[in-house]
Amino acid sequence: MTGPVLEAIDIGKFLGIGAGRFQALSAVNLAIAGGELTLLMGPSGSGKTTLLSILGCMLTPSSGTVRVHGQSTAGKKPEELAKLRRNHIGFVFQSYHLFPTLTAIDNVRIALDIRGESSEQSIKRAMEVLAIVGLANKTGSYPRELSGGEQQRVAIARAIVGDPSVILADEPTAALDAENGHAVMSVLAQIATNPARGVLVVTHDPRIVEFADRIVSIEDGIIISDSRAVVSEEMALQAQGSSSCRNKS
Amino acid sequence: MSLAPKLAFRNLFQDRLRLIATVVGIGFSMVLVTIQMGLYVSFETMVTVMIDHANADLWIVPRGAKSFEDPSLLDERERFRALSLDGVRDVVPLVVGFARWRAPSGATTPIFIVGAGRREDGLQPWNLIEGSLESLAIPGAVAIDQSYFDRLETSRVGESAEINDRRVQVLETTRGIRSFTTMPYVFVSPDFARAATGTPPNKTSYFIVHLAEGINATDIRNQLRTRLIDAEVLTPDEFGRRSKTFWVSGTGAGAALLMGSLLALIVGTVIVAQTLYSSTKDHLHEFATLRAIGSSSGYIIEVIIIQALLSAVIGFCLAAGIGLSVVWATAATALPVIMTPAMTLIVLLVTILMSVLSAAMAIMKVMRIDPVMVFTR
Repeated sequence: MTGPVLEAIDIGKFLGIGAGRFQALSAVNLAIAGGELTLLMGPSGSGKTTLLSILGCMLTPSSGTVRVHGQSTAGKKPEELAKLRRNHIGFVFQSYHLFPTLTAIDNVRIALDIRGESSEQSIKRAMEVLAIVGLANKTGSYPRELSGGEQQRVAIARAIVGDPSVILADEPTAALDAENGHAVMSVLAQIATNPARGVLVVTHDPRIVEFADRIVSIEDGIIISDSRAVVSEEMALQAQGSSSCRNKS
Repeated sequence: MSLAPKLAFRNLFQDRLRLIATVVGIGFSMVLVTIQMGLYVSFETMVTVMIDHANADLWIVPRGAKSFEDPSLLDERERFRALSLDGVRDVVPLVVGFARWRAPSGATTPIFIVGAGRREDGLQPWNLIEGSLESLAIPGAVAIDQSYFDRLETSRVGESAEINDRRVQVLETTRGIRSFTTMPYVFVSPDFARAATGTPPNKTSYFIVHLAEGINATDIRNQLRTRLIDAEVLTPDEFGRRSKTFWVSGTGAGAALLMGSLLALIVGTVIVAQTLYSSTKDHLHEFATLRAIGSSSGYIIEVIIIQALLSAVIGFCLAAGIGLSVVWATAATALPVIMTPAMTLIVLLVTILMSVLSAAMAIMKVMRIDPVMVFTR
């Protein structure tokens, strides 16, 4: 695949009904290429999660088109969208969303199980990816036996085990301390070195800009900047601060 | 092996208290179904117990007779009409009727007397514990079943009582000859039955027809039907079915038992549905995660259905265990609960069906999950 792995074209989204109806996204264009880690930054209520939900084929845009691995999502039924997700998109959530009754390896395997892959293959593959995220010795541990950082790495393993074209991560470091956050971002950055795979991270966390190949800023549902240049942490802090101030005012 | 069964099992067993409540709920609702069905089967069996044990090729019954306990009478002339037909070997009169038993203490209880023939061709008591069949030839001799010892205030051979003010002596006791009504069956001689019930000498309750060797019962039945005026000719199966239809459908007794089973099923369904729904709600974020990472609806439904099946099997095992105890405990009583292998299989299938149907509400809840919720928590 030579084009973007994930593409949003002129996306608009209205949320709410009646008097509470408002435009959450307006004319958003974003293309995620393979081999790069993109940060999507913006203050609370800026439309980050709405955009992530649309890019993840969980929310239908009011206007515009989303293309996943070259396929348009327009007019697709929920089951078809679910198939697109399981075959092409890996998700990492802020709260990890691991299955508390399953071990680490089963939490990873489940992403292959829903594809109907054999248990022999899925166990082998799950072991490999757990080793990639540094948890080869924790395969039999339950989520309650793992630290927050370890749980997030299990979630990352689950996201990549199916070899998706794109990883969408929602605030993956928000619940972690600096050390664990750094470890998680290192893993995501490593994953993004694969030219066939793009990583989009939605974040508030200015500490992680050092891992970004590209930073996209969004405010009030509009992309206000899209920079490929290396951004210093200080600049990111300034950007974050100005957004917060504007929000408060 | 797919992870769906493992996930279902772990979800179900994660909350032990709720699982126990579910299993006990299913178990007891199915115990209720088992007992109601067991009583129904027992009822059906007992309704035809006399017809099943009579050595008859055909029955001649009063026109319109609805069951073995029907009080109508036949004219003796029908017997000779039947005997005149080639292929009919013997026609044995049988007198039955309602009577009153007076125990030595003076207490009375209604009974149903059966005028047992002395010959093998009649309707004789079976499962003898004490006494001999020949003793019924003695005037005033009776045979009673041990299930009714308490009711009849009699417990052994040699004790005396009265039937419609006529002195009788217990000379035979039996096991397992039980009536589905509250009235015990008491076997007496044909003459005593006629005298005690006031049946005229030219009348009888039934004729038991025996055919010559190699004769087709259906052919004779059809021929007899054209010859007999105020009587009907039925095969034992036909008479049995007619009795069952009357008592089971006509009186509402069967309907009451079936209604009991249905109510138990509804209670069971509600319990399982409530539990599965509550379990699904507790694990909603997990189902939403499954949906978010691309699981098909089928996979999620599979998890819920497996949970339902696990609940069903555990609940059924509990029900079967308790059911067998009830069968054992009631075996020697006047109202035994019968559990046949076929019935056990039906109860298992009904439990599974009930549990799977109960999953519908939980499945509907899951199908409405918005996977976006994984971003909001």
